[in-house]
Amino acid sequence: MDKMDKQRLIDYEDSIVAAFNRREIASPIHFSGGNEEQLIGIFRQIRPQDWVFATYRSHYHALLKGVPEEWLTEWIRDNKSIHLMSKEYRIVTSAIVGGHLPQAVGMAMAIKLKGLDERVWAFCGDMAAETGTFHECHKYATRQGLPVTFVVEDNGVSTNTPTQDTWGRQCAGSDNVVRYSYQRVHPHYGTKENPWNRGEERKAGAF
Amino acid sequence: MTYREELFRAMDVLAQDDRTLFLGQCVVNSGTFMYHTLKNIPLTKRIEMPVIEDTQMGISIGLALAGYVPVSVYPRMDFLICATNQLANHLDKIAEMSSGQFNPKVIVRSAVGSTNPLFPGPQHCNDYCDSLRSSLRNVDVVQLREAAQIVPAYRQALDSPRSTVVIEYPDLYDSS
Repeated sequence: MDKMDKQRLIDYEDSIVAAFNRREIASPIHFSGGNEEQLIGIFRQIRPQDWVFATYRSHYHALLKGVPEEWLTEWIRDNKSIHLMSKEYRIVTSAIVGGHLPQAVGMAMAIKLKGLDERVWAFCGDMAAETGTFHECHKYATRQGLPVTFVVEDNGVSTNTPTQDTWGRQCAGSDNVVRYSYQRVHPHYGTKENPWNRGEERKAGAF
Repeated sequence: MTYREELFRAMDVLAQDDRTLFLGQCVVNSGTFMYHTLKNIPLTKRIEMPVIEDTQMGISIGLALAGYVPVSVYPRMDFLICATNQLANHLDKIAEMSSGQFNPKVIVRSAVGSTNPLFPGPQHCNDYCDSLRSSLRNVDVVQLREAAQIVPAYRQALDSPRSTVVIEYPDLYDSS
């Protein structure tokens, strides 16, 4: 593949903008712009065998992963920009905020189980990075030692909603969480002597 | 054979396939009725998960994209619907979204909670099969109403190119 530099990324996206403005593409498109240098730097670390899980704004990601411009243009003109997928170039995206993140973790789990020399790169926006899904995925992947890197693309807004304003900017600290520990006495369900036992599951104490 | 015995057989059938992995809460540790039907399966094929229903479904999809056939376990349908985003927005749509390049196959194993001898209340015994069917166009939903259905249904789920949600009825466990 030819080297994809900043100007080439911009020129490509501008060509799609022009086609959209000529009403040649009848589907929603989320355009990239202003993040060329950051992405070029990140993609220097991403190898062909690695997987990219990205968002509905992923033209740059595809180009930097090696997807040919002609293929990408055809895909976009087929009204599929917001769910850009390439098995050959190992790209998976979702048009649902954070929807691809658990899938990225699953792919990383598979890579670890198979002992492969591959890595997953999971891109998301700043609002996605505040969601419960992100925190579950990041915590699970980190504690399980899965080969995945999360990249937060922070432009400060989600659609036009200012991400940090909606969450609140006041730092609450952790003094509004009360936690206590205890050793449980009874099993999860019922009692050890469960008089309602019926069948081997309950006799075995599963309930 | 009883419903329960057929479930043991079905899980053995699934476990014999090199592609399968069983994941969910209480697949390694006891605590739900489904655990007992899995305890003969090698631990190398079982992954105990935290309670992260939707994320678990997404992880299952990721495993499937890598070639595994995950058996994603949700002990009750009431819990499964917490995974509806990954089920309806992703598992059901990825083949369409990717123009057929990706076709992740997941076997979802869940159950309608028993109401006898204990009634578990409004959040533990619902049957959402009809609403799931109306939400899914590429994922099959199969209800196991009789013991004789169980092994064929799980074999079909394993052989099918489509994902399948298989729903069990623990109130029938002792029936044949």
